[in-house]
Amino acid sequence: MAICPLPSPCAQFILRFIMANDAPAVEITDLVKEFKTTMRGRPLRAVDQVSLRIMPGEVYGLIGPNGSGKSTTMKALLGLLAPTAGSCKIFGRDSIKVDSRQDVGFLPENPYFYKHLTGGETLRFYGRLCGLGGSVLRERIEVLLELVDLKDARDRRVGGYSKGMLQRIGLAQAMIQHPRLVILDEPTAGVDPVGSREIRDLVLKLRDQGITVFLCSHLLEQVQEVCDRVGIIFAGKLIREGKLEELIAIEDQTEVIIRHADSALVSRIEEIIQSSDGAELVQTGKPRTTLERLFLKEIKRDHQS
Amino acid sequence: MSSLRKIIVLLLVLLAFGALRLKFERQMLTEFRDAGLMREQNHLESRDRIDQTSSAVALGGLRTLVATFLNLRAHGYFERQAWNELQDTYETIVNLAPQTRYYWETGSWHMAYNAASYYLHESSRPPLRRKELWRSSILQGRYFLERGIGNNPRDWSLHASLGHMLRDPNKLPAMRDRDAALMAAHEAYDRSVELGCFSPMLNQRLSLYCLARVRGRESEALALARTLHEDPRHHKPTLLILLYVLEFDADPDQDAGALALRIFGDAKTAYEALAHHWRGNREGYPMDGVAQGLARMEGLLGIPPLQSILGQKLAPGFNPDDWFK
Amino acid sequence: MSESTPTPAFKASHASRMVTLSLHAFTQLVRMKVFYFLAVFAVIVIGSNFFDMAQHQGPESVGANVLRNIKSWSLGAMALFAVVISIVATALLLPRDIEDRTLYTVLAKPVPRIDYLVGRLMGVLLLVFVSLAVMDLLMVAALHLRTGMVMEMQEKMAVGRGWPEEAIQSLKQETLASGVNWQLQAAVLAIFLKVAVMAAICLSVSTFSTSTLFTTVVSFLIFFIGHFQADALDFYLKGVEAGTSTFSQYLALGFSLFIPNFQLFNVVDGLVQNQPITLLMVGKLVMMACYYVLLYTLLAWWIFSDKEV
Repeated sequence: MAICPLPSPCAQFILRFIMANDAPAVEITDLVKEFKTTMRGRPLRAVDQVSLRIMPGEVYGLIGPNGSGKSTTMKALLGLLAPTAGSCKIFGRDSIKVDSRQDVGFLPENPYFYKHLTGGETLRFYGRLCGLGGSVLRERIEVLLELVDLKDARDRRVGGYSKGMLQRIGLAQAMIQHPRLVILDEPTAGVDPVGSREIRDLVLKLRDQGITVFLCSHLLEQVQEVCDRVGIIFAGKLIREGKLEELIAIEDQTEVIIRHADSALVSRIEEIIQSSDGAELVQTGKPRTTLERLFLKEIKRDHQS
Repeated sequence: MSSLRKIIVLLLVLLAFGALRLKFERQMLTEFRDAGLMREQNHLESRDRIDQTSSAVALGGLRTLVATFLNLRAHGYFERQAWNELQDTYETIVNLAPQTRYYWETGSWHMAYNAASYYLHESSRPPLRRKELWRSSILQGRYFLERGIGNNPRDWSLHASLGHMLRDPNKLPAMRDRDAALMAAHEAYDRSVELGCFSPMLNQRLSLYCLARVRGRESEALALARTLHEDPRHHKPTLLILLYVLEFDADPDQDAGALALRIFGDAKTAYEALAHHWRGNREGYPMDGVAQGLARMEGLLGIPPLQSILGQKLAPGFNPDDWFK
Repeated sequence: MSESTPTPAFKASHASRMVTLSLHAFTQLVRMKVFYFLAVFAVIVIGSNFFDMAQHQGPESVGANVLRNIKSWSLGAMALFAVVISIVATALLLPRDIEDRTLYTVLAKPVPRIDYLVGRLMGVLLLVFVSLAVMDLLMVAALHLRTGMVMEMQEKMAVGRGWPEEAIQSLKQETLASGVNWQLQAAVLAIFLKVAVMAAICLSVSTFSTSTLFTTVVSFLIFFIGHFQADALDFYLKGVEAGTSTFSQYLALGFSLFIPNFQLFNVVDGLVQNQPITLLMVGKLVMMACYYVLLYTLLAWWIFSDKEV
């Protein structure tokens, strides 16, 4: 990005326009959130000087154990809580301001929607709150129900939905107004492996469409599959942050996976390694699939048969 | 903002807005009370008389509903002839719904008619006691109705009801001052006519019938009778007979026969009217000139002296003391 | 959804959000089957027809008590149902949204908190309005039918007693005036206005309350205490002459400043007894109700604006 030093109002306008278009989707600066515990007791610091930045189009995962401050960070970002100190911005706008939420879709943890509404009515309700209406809203509802595979359940009351269905309708309502940022709090918690896979596929689709995704989870394997960048939060502090690949790579090791290798070939490779300086053979053997992949494979086979 | 500061600001805002509205609300309350839409808060007496739940309901602006339920209770007392409880209940009812004519009329009816009749016939008590209870019931009924009129001065029906009660020959003996009671009845009927009663002509005649019995008011009664007589629709037997007696009272030297023929039209009609008046006069109307008129009509109709009504023994007089023997 | 599309600009107005939220609250309450109480109301209206007691039976009194009974019972039931529904429904909405976390999903949208509160309040008022309208219709129908029957009975009796025609006509006019009239509608409006104020107060309480039960109990308490507000003010104003202590006087003053005066809306009794009410008086009542509703709604917003959910 070229920074023009010209002081003229025109140039400044152009500069602001460029900077606005490059504004981070999420910018949390030195966020502190304290909760009063008892009348005289010390306040509980749930979030302690957390700073993070998510650029547009990224999938960012905030991981940490239960009670580490993930949900509090999200709520502060959504303006549901006022920060004790620090600031939160969404596409350059202060998150306390209602307008900042125009571009945000939120799926809370264990979402619970109005039981008395049907799936279609739920989406219509949230769509109207965001300013959609008429045929635009109707079409959007159709598209989203198709996307989350709830077309058959559109006229069923949400009170009768399963956990997975609730997550899916939650995702649909989060996307109702074409948000540029989608915030997902534990999107796969309590969902079966099939549902989890579907949600993860959806997240990847969102990324492909250039939508920024900010998700919180304590299910590390699932975060690993979808996120570009990850932040690790523990006891309210962001203790590590960076690109996923860089964080999880074991830098001094190399992995080679070979198909249809016979024992002679394996022996020759072992000899080459032993004869080279500095390299050390750490392990050989059959790579393992994950239990999840095995489960999905078996289900698919069962469906096909 | 800290919670404490928030609470303080909240209280200050409520105080400020409270002060702003107070004057306007008081004006509104006064206006509504003057218009009869509201009354003062429940008096202590009525709060004592109704239980807590009813108080709460009455307080919530549903006095008429509580009055309705109490009316049901009063009916129960009526059926059981529990007159003291019935009276207490009606006192409470009219306190709750003072602008409902029905309650004033029914309450006074129970007291002055039903309770009085009960004590009249109730033989377990000594006669003097019965008489006193009978009398006090009637007076309570009258007083109750007069209070109703005080609360609803423009209700013609209450005035008419008072008139009916005071001119009733079974009630009049209970009044201390007979003439004052009849005068009050006369005024009540007049007021009911002024306020637009359903039967103005009837009430005008009833007003005359009361005035005609007040001693010392004969000339006023005569003027009223003459005025009413001008309208042929008022030519009812009682009015005609009263006109006759009042005319005769004003000029006792005139020819009774000529007077009777002028008023009644013919001898037979005159004789029947005068004879009826002669035989039974429970109401105590004046009798001036009746004997003279009867004598003249008997002469004109050729009724022999042996069959003269003037020779027949009259029914015993109307003496309420006989009721309690 | 296959291609990345530029974000369309959607923006709802305050009014459209409030309407959405109010219709939603209305639907929520209706689907809780609150309208079943209307069946109970219908039974009350019909039952009130049967309370006819012994009375001195002249044409002018026969059946008149029944008309008043119908009005009295109906308006009483309407007032009771309306107050209970408004308090319970309002007390229920916010805590339920917080407990169920549906509030997060609503406030995570670009929905200002004032829109949320006003929308919920309007939903409750819409429910109360529809309920009162239905009850009003039932009452008017019962009253209309019964008035016709009463007039027939009165005419028969009056003719039997030889009443002149003009007297019979006057009697009919008076009975008609005791039946369905505009005062009844003013009474229903007064009930609605009182209930609207109560709902706004309940909304304020629910913004800082921790439970539905607490909100309901406190609201009913304020409702009853509010009927003594005029008493308290009288006590303060007459306190000097009566020689009461300064502390008691100021306590009474404080009480009358904080608590709304619900006695103002108790015109129902006068209207049942056919006292007239002018349009100006109705206008003043509406204005007072709007004043209270606005005040308590703004207070609710002020408390709720930085409530952490």
